[in-house]
Amino acid sequence: MNDRIVFEDVSKFYGEILGVNRVNLSIPPGITSLVGPNGSGKTTLMNLMTGLVRPTRGRIHVLDYKIDDPENLFKILGYSTQFDAFPKGLTGYQFIYSYLRLAGRDSQSAEQMAWRAIERVNLVDAAKRNIAGYSKGMRQRIRLAQALSHDPKVLVLDEPLNGLDPLARSEMIALFRATAAQGCYVIISSHILHEVDVISDQVILLSNGYVVAEGKIHNVRSEIQEHPTQILIRCSQPRELAAKMFEYEHTIEVSIHKDEHGLLLKTRDADRFYLALNEIALKGIDIESVAPADDDVLSVYEYLIGNEEVVR
Amino acid sequence: MKRIWWAQIKAVIRLEMRKTFFAKRGLWIYVVAALPVMLFIAYAIATSSQQNRSVSVARQGERPLAYQDLLAVKTGMTSQEVIAILGKPPITFHWTENRPPQTEKGASLEVLHEDYHYSDGQNDLFVGIADGKVESINIHQGNNLGQDSIMFAGVFQFFFLRLAIFFGCLGIFMNLFRGEILDRSLHFYFLAPIRREVVMAGKFLAGLLATCTIFVTSEVLQTIAFLWHFSPRARDLYLYHNHGLEHAAIYLGVTVLACVGYGAFFLVAGMLFRNPILPAAAILIWEGINPFLPAVLRQFSVIYYLKSLCPVDIPSPPGTPPVFALLISNSDPVAAPVAILGISIVALIALYVSSLQVRRMEINYSTE
Repeated sequence: MNDRIVFEDVSKFYGEILGVNRVNLSIPPGITSLVGPNGSGKTTLMNLMTGLVRPTRGRIHVLDYKIDDPENLFKILGYSTQFDAFPKGLTGYQFIYSYLRLAGRDSQSAEQMAWRAIERVNLVDAAKRNIAGYSKGMRQRIRLAQALSHDPKVLVLDEPLNGLDPLARSEMIALFRATAAQGCYVIISSHILHEVDVISDQVILLSNGYVVAEGKIHNVRSEIQEHPTQILIRCSQPRELAAKMFEYEHTIEVSIHKDEHGLLLKTRDADRFYLALNEIALKGIDIESVAPADDDVLSVYEYLIGNEEVVR
Repeated sequence: MKRIWWAQIKAVIRLEMRKTFFAKRGLWIYVVAALPVMLFIAYAIATSSQQNRSVSVARQGERPLAYQDLLAVKTGMTSQEVIAILGKPPITFHWTENRPPQTEKGASLEVLHEDYHYSDGQNDLFVGIADGKVESINIHQGNNLGQDSIMFAGVFQFFFLRLAIFFGCLGIFMNLFRGEILDRSLHFYFLAPIRREVVMAGKFLAGLLATCTIFVTSEVLQTIAFLWHFSPRARDLYLYHNHGLEHAAIYLGVTVLACVGYGAFFLVAGMLFRNPILPAAAILIWEGINPFLPAVLRQFSVIYYLKSLCPVDIPSPPGTPPVFALLISNSDPVAAPVAILGISIVALIALYVSSLQVRRMEINYSTE
């Protein structure tokens, strides 16, 4: 029994164009975000995972299923693609209902499940309207409803928050969290980093078809040695604290916060910094709080990929 | 077959019917299917009108005539002899021709021309008389089911089968996958828990349902239009005592088999080729040159079997060059069961190739 989504040395070339190369991944349950600039291979990875494209090399398993077995794979997997096209002439309800009938559901259960999925994405009022008249956000939501409609264990969502208003975004994020909390696998691609940071249990950073980092964001950050760790310390005597910190050779840079109630410190060795801070605190400097300042997706992304084409 | 597959096939058919029957880009298929119907309606109207005229001419005659009476007139007879046999002509035309002199000093010659029009109420006789003697005879036969059924067979074989059904199937079956790739909506099927082969089977059956409905309806209407202008007695005689009903049923069967054969061909062509014109042209040429192919290759064709099943042989007109005669006649027909089996095997091979192809298909719209 396999409980992971596994990529084993997977490469995909479109003719001579690289999609992804030598990807090895093992994705656990929870929310996993694929992060990377346009053309980095996020959608290719999702299409590979769902069998819409086949790997040029390597093997992919989604839990216990092979990607060339759609009959069984899509019983446990729902995919909301970026393709913004629908079968012609269908209403939102018919779109979901037809999908469930294709899945072999009988009329009654397909109807019930379709309405339940439509309710989950708050599209009941527009469900009987033709999709051709939907706004971009509504089309995004009906695609999400399709992916969710058969209660899949694995949910693959390509840019699922695109086109949604802030309220809808927060509703969808709550939905993803609730789904992940049930032990499901939610794979999201996004280039909106602060949202990724908020919702992800783990991230996969992609650049030019290569996976440059994967795992929990803190672990990824701690492995980036060439960039010093930034730590925000709130205290009443920032200048004294700064002076003491410079006595340690691992301290690289310190800047006093504008409000004179804190400082931002860059250190080459976070573990030794925390030991030093304990010593300093014992010497009478009152420390209010200590928090990492670059232990987030945005920072990791900038360190590993650069700051191209991302939305903060 | 698993029960769920059949349920899924029905779901695919439901989705496809809307596209195959009501797609704007498929309207021309209805026009192509309607063309032979229009032809037979026009023919029926023209023939009925001609028949009414014949009856009117017959009524105007001095006495009722039989077909044998019309045949009694021969060239070289005098006009008096013609009138003696058939009576005074109900309709006559005459004019004078000035023939140039035979010699330089000779005078020009005036020749009186007369045209007599007789009718027995069904067949018309046109007698051309020049200078008092019968010069030409033209008998125009009225309703003749024998001749008309050959005409019907000609329209069926050379227009309906080879062009209407051929291009109709091309329009519908080639678009089953290709159309959705161009619309960028094929992934809808590929994201459902359904075998790709089941999607293909559903699409094929939807296309078959659409083409059979359109072309079988056309064939039924053609038969009705074809028989419309005959008297009820002639129709009964043809349908129930002269294999007419059997022929009509065979034409419907051949229509269905044509849809199966060409449908399977174009389904696989739509998956293998981006540009439908090239495979369509290739298949059209392949079907066209079928009579000239070696016996082994001839079997890998739809028209070879369909021609063998057609109930009426079309005779080549006298003087037809052998090459064209080969195109018209079916020199090497196979028995009906062999033809049905052959077309089924050809279709199954095409569907098998389609099933292999559909399993390999990737969604990569940007390359289309």
